[in-house]
Amino acid sequence: MTTNQKIVQVFLTARIKQLVAAVLSVMFGISMYVFMNSFMDGVNTFQSDITFSAMSHIKIYNELKGDPRAIITRNKADELVLVSNAKNIRYTEGIKNIDEIKKGLKDINEITGIAAQLNQNVFIRNGVSKINANLSGIETQEENNVFGTAENIVQGNLYDLDKRNNGIILGTGLAEIIGVSLNDNITIQTSDGVSKVFKVVGTIETGAASLDRSRALVNIDVARQLLNKNKSYATDLMIDVDEYKNATDIAKSIQPLTQYKVEPWQEGNAQMDSGELLRNIIAIATSLTILIVAGFGIYNIMTMTVNEKIKEIAILNAMGFNSKDIIEIFLLQSIFIGFLGGIAGLVFGNIISRIIDNTPFQLGLLDSLPMNYNPQDYALAFLFGLVITFIAGYLPALRASKLDPVDTLRG
Amino acid sequence: MKALQVQNTNKYFYTPTEFHVLKDISFEVDKGEFVAIMGKSGSGKSTLLYLLSTMDTSYNGNIVIDGTQITGQSKKNLARFRNEHIGFVFQFHYLLTDFTVLDNIMLPALKLNKKSKEEIEAEALELIDLLDIKGQEHKKASRISGGQQQRVAIARALINSPAIIMGDEPTGNLDSKNAENIFDLFRRFSKERGQTIIAVTHDDDFAANCDRIIELADGRIV
Ligand SMILES: Nc1ncnc2c1ncn2[C@@H]1O[C@H](COP(=O)(O)OP(=O)(O)OP(=O)(O)O)[C@@H](O)[C@H]1O
Ligand SMILES: [Mg+2]
Repeated sequence: MTTNQKIVQVFLTARIKQLVAAVLSVMFGISMYVFMNSFMDGVNTFQSDITFSAMSHIKIYNELKGDPRAIITRNKADELVLVSNAKNIRYTEGIKNIDEIKKGLKDINEITGIAAQLNQNVFIRNGVSKINANLSGIETQEENNVFGTAENIVQGNLYDLDKRNNGIILGTGLAEIIGVSLNDNITIQTSDGVSKVFKVVGTIETGAASLDRSRALVNIDVARQLLNKNKSYATDLMIDVDEYKNATDIAKSIQPLTQYKVEPWQEGNAQMDSGELLRNIIAIATSLTILIVAGFGIYNIMTMTVNEKIKEIAILNAMGFNSKDIIEIFLLQSIFIGFLGGIAGLVFGNIISRIIDNTPFQLGLLDSLPMNYNPQDYALAFLFGLVITFIAGYLPALRASKLDPVDTLRG
Repeated sequence: MKALQVQNTNKYFYTPTEFHVLKDISFEVDKGEFVAIMGKSGSGKSTLLYLLSTMDTSYNGNIVIDGTQITGQSKKNLARFRNEHIGFVFQFHYLLTDFTVLDNIMLPALKLNKKSKEEIEAEALELIDLLDIKGQEHKKASRISGGQQQRVAIARALINSPAIIMGDEPTGNLDSKNAENIFDLFRRFSKERGQTIIAVTHDDDFAANCDRIIELADGRIV
């Protein structure tokens, strides 16, 4: 231990009550920071879990362009060009060759899953009733990888779709409307008039009612057959990436690889993106405010300490301790307080989070308030705590180092 | 080489009003000399001593201690210089009250960092013995008598064997027996170790036995 550290030790232990008060104020700030951010993280995760149970981070599809291209352009100033009722004609539907696109995406490391879908509006007939439904031809493995579909299966098994080419899984709402249950037969009729009989091998419930009332899942190859499409045809490529927040950037890097539209989830869901941003701003603003208040606490305590120790500072100075030593002696005290309060705050923040996490709180799909235990929140809380105690301690320490010993010692 | 040279030194106080406290002070002190500074209360003795201690740097003139030009040095250099070469006993015995007697005495040596902790402790205990404060070393400095505190302050001033020991009424708080003991100690250190002693005193007996008396009146040497 250096001489300065020994002095710090004596100063700190001589005023245990003040030390405890200072440590507690830091602890309070840090624990609130941890709690607030764990909670907001939890809310964000909950929100995105719901959203991405039916939506992928990035979608590739064949887009009908908005503005009709000008068919004839004007060449001379005195020429008049009139085209009435210009329309876009969709020459191609869906994505012709998904294998080619998939191959191109192989090199993008951020992509964690690609699932091709063939979506088509169809009629479902069960005896006399005829109901509109959204038929989704899926690649079961990949679909589960991207959406966690298997978790939402209420009856039956997702992979039964692979075992028989007449298997179909219905949304629970849809099954109810038609009035069918497991192992019943239904007839699907396409807009082209093709009909096929399917056997209900399962039901699925995602929690999003509109989806559950309209969705019917079959194997993608079965759907291709039904709609008379080639082997690598699909209407949508659903892509998941490792960090959903980066979807926009990743979508930009994918776009050049294909002529189809590459759409990140943010494009159609600005409200969710901004909701998350607002929550984060609130969390950061509140927790930083609390930390700053804690910082003022330390600032006050250290200023008081310096005032109390004016005589000691002058004596140390007279003995040959220079300004740097004085700054070190007082700054080390704050850093020690920040460190101790920081560690205590992380532990206490974790305890609060756990208590809230385990307190029953019924709200929609929630059993208790959502809570994340993200090491990054803890690291940041500790870092901010140290930075703020450092600043709050540095100012009084600087003042201490500038005191004139002669003024004090003259008595 | 002289232990101390003061040349044409003037000092002013500006608050509350301008006040010329030290007027054209010049004197020299030899190595190993034991000098008393005397004068009426308010004549500027403490002020002069603070200049010599290198703590007060706002003055005009020139001060050289032990061959080192003090005037114009940076605060950092001066702190280092004080630590190594000057032992100072304040008019009011200032100790670090949260520390033990032993820690108070050892601190300047620990700061200087030239000897091991064990050596420093041995030397501190020796001084404690010489100054007759044995048995108090592990008490907090706030828990001993005024006279004992003054002797601890003297021990602290001596721990680094400084070239110059300055005292502002170093025996002011002591009974005659202890005062005599300190005087003898200073006397011996100046003779045997060649340490220079400059002590402000009101005690005529103390002054009479010094090598020389510098008398201040109204900020002038007379
Ligand atoms: N900080 C200050 N500001 C203004 N004037 C001061 C200040 N300190 C001391 N003085 C004045 O300077 C003069 C000298 O003061 P100083 O403390 O040196 O006297 P002294 O000789 O040590 O007296 P004593 O024997 O009582 O200790 C006094 O008149 C005092 O009023
Ligand atoms: Mg005085």
